[in-house]
Amino acid sequence: MDFHILDIFPVLLFFISFFGIITSGNIVKSIVMVIIMQTSVIMFWLGVGARFGTTPPIFEDITEIADPNAIADPLPQALMLTAIIIGVAVTAINITMLNALFRKYKTVEWDTMQELAVKDEGLEVQDLGGVTSESTI
Amino acid sequence: MNNLIIVLLVFWIISSIWCVFAQKTYRVIIFFGVFSLLTAAIYLFLGAPDVAMAEAGISAFTTIFFIVCVEKYYSRGEGLKHEMATKTNKPRKITRYIFPFIFCVALLVLFLNFAPTGYVVTELRDQYLQMFMHDVGGLNAVTAIYLGYRVYDTLFEALLLVVAVVAVIHLSWYEKTAVSDGKHSEMERSRMAKFTMRIICPIILLFGTYLVLNGHISAGGGFLGGLAFASFIICRFLVLGIYDLPIEKAIRMEEIVFINIVILPILAIFTGIMYLAWDATEIFQNIYLIAMSGLIGMKVTLGFFVLFYRYIAIERLPEEGEGE
Repeated sequence: MDFHILDIFPVLLFFISFFGIITSGNIVKSIVMVIIMQTSVIMFWLGVGARFGTTPPIFEDITEIADPNAIADPLPQALMLTAIIIGVAVTAINITMLNALFRKYKTVEWDTMQELAVKDEGLEVQDLGGVTSESTI
Repeated sequence: MNNLIIVLLVFWIISSIWCVFAQKTYRVIIFFGVFSLLTAAIYLFLGAPDVAMAEAGISAFTTIFFIVCVEKYYSRGEGLKHEMATKTNKPRKITRYIFPFIFCVALLVLFLNFAPTGYVVTELRDQYLQMFMHDVGGLNAVTAIYLGYRVYDTLFEALLLVVAVVAVIHLSWYEKTAVSDGKHSEMERSRMAKFTMRIICPIILLFGTYLVLNGHISAGGGFLGGLAFASFIICRFLVLGIYDLPIEKAIRMEEIVFINIVILPILAIFTGIMYLAWDATEIFQNIYLIAMSGLIGMKVTLGFFVLFYRYIAIERLPEEGEGE
């Protein structure tokens, strides 16, 4: 298998952040892990764009550049710039939802919050094919 | 590949592993800051200065978001005042990990089978790099793409920021906005920080103006200029403790700016005024690029202003005995 070095690290990071999401008991940590997962995807696309070379795509005349093939691909950069701003919007909404939950249950732990939700509202913990659903809270 | 990038990537992975195995919430946030800084450095060395600047600014904002929230709310929760453990002691069901494990294996198989090896040749890249000065204008190919070729993406991104602001306002706790006097904020305001801010704030404003006006000929643009302006407003909140800005007008103004962001590309691109073979076309292109950068900068500034105003100035825990 012959993979580019810029492919391997983001994919590794994706799995690390996925591990972090499923094992963290703290919701703040889960939100941080979601941001890290998004960063890994952005890094993957920038890596794909940078395989030609790492010259920034800002120039006055393309003929004056020594190696025009070494210019990084501008299309993933433009799309990922948009994705970063959208990521902030997602993070803001995540934190706001967590604040609303914290106001109700006074905790940021998944398990404690789930116990309190079951106790307060009489919700039953759903068993969806072996996965304990946390969407009930 | 440059050895420096590989060293940075290794530290990048190490910092993320720190973040996963950190036991306290503050440590998670600080390691996340380290991670984001390394990310911005790698973006820069990959030839993406615009994305690197955006990531650096955004990571600072996100870190402040988290620290403000932990400082103001989460540290007052049950059992969190002294020890904010992120690890639960309860044993978890093994079955809980089956679906994630299957998901990981499927992703790994997809990556091993379908990851592009070698060079990815796209004709679009060559066409953009050859033609963007003629088609859209400016010297920065990235700005030319997100303001010219793919302006739809920018429209929807602006729409998403509006939706996020609306969602944050409607999910916030208080219907009647009680603007705080800043006293409940537990952040110490030192005289030195105030003095430094008074010197730095004009420089931040100047830098933001430079970024907006030069977005089409160098790294920068509306997003980054807006971030600089927003950081100025947040400095006012956090360091100087000034909350006198009119939030209702800001929300109203954000809607107007969004309508302008929709109308301007329609007028400029769909009527074809940028593609006419006049001598004056270049002037039109530059006016369009600077106007769009300015509008996006205003949009981002107002969006972040409203978000931070909700977080820092308005939202607070109810005092003892105060009803919901």
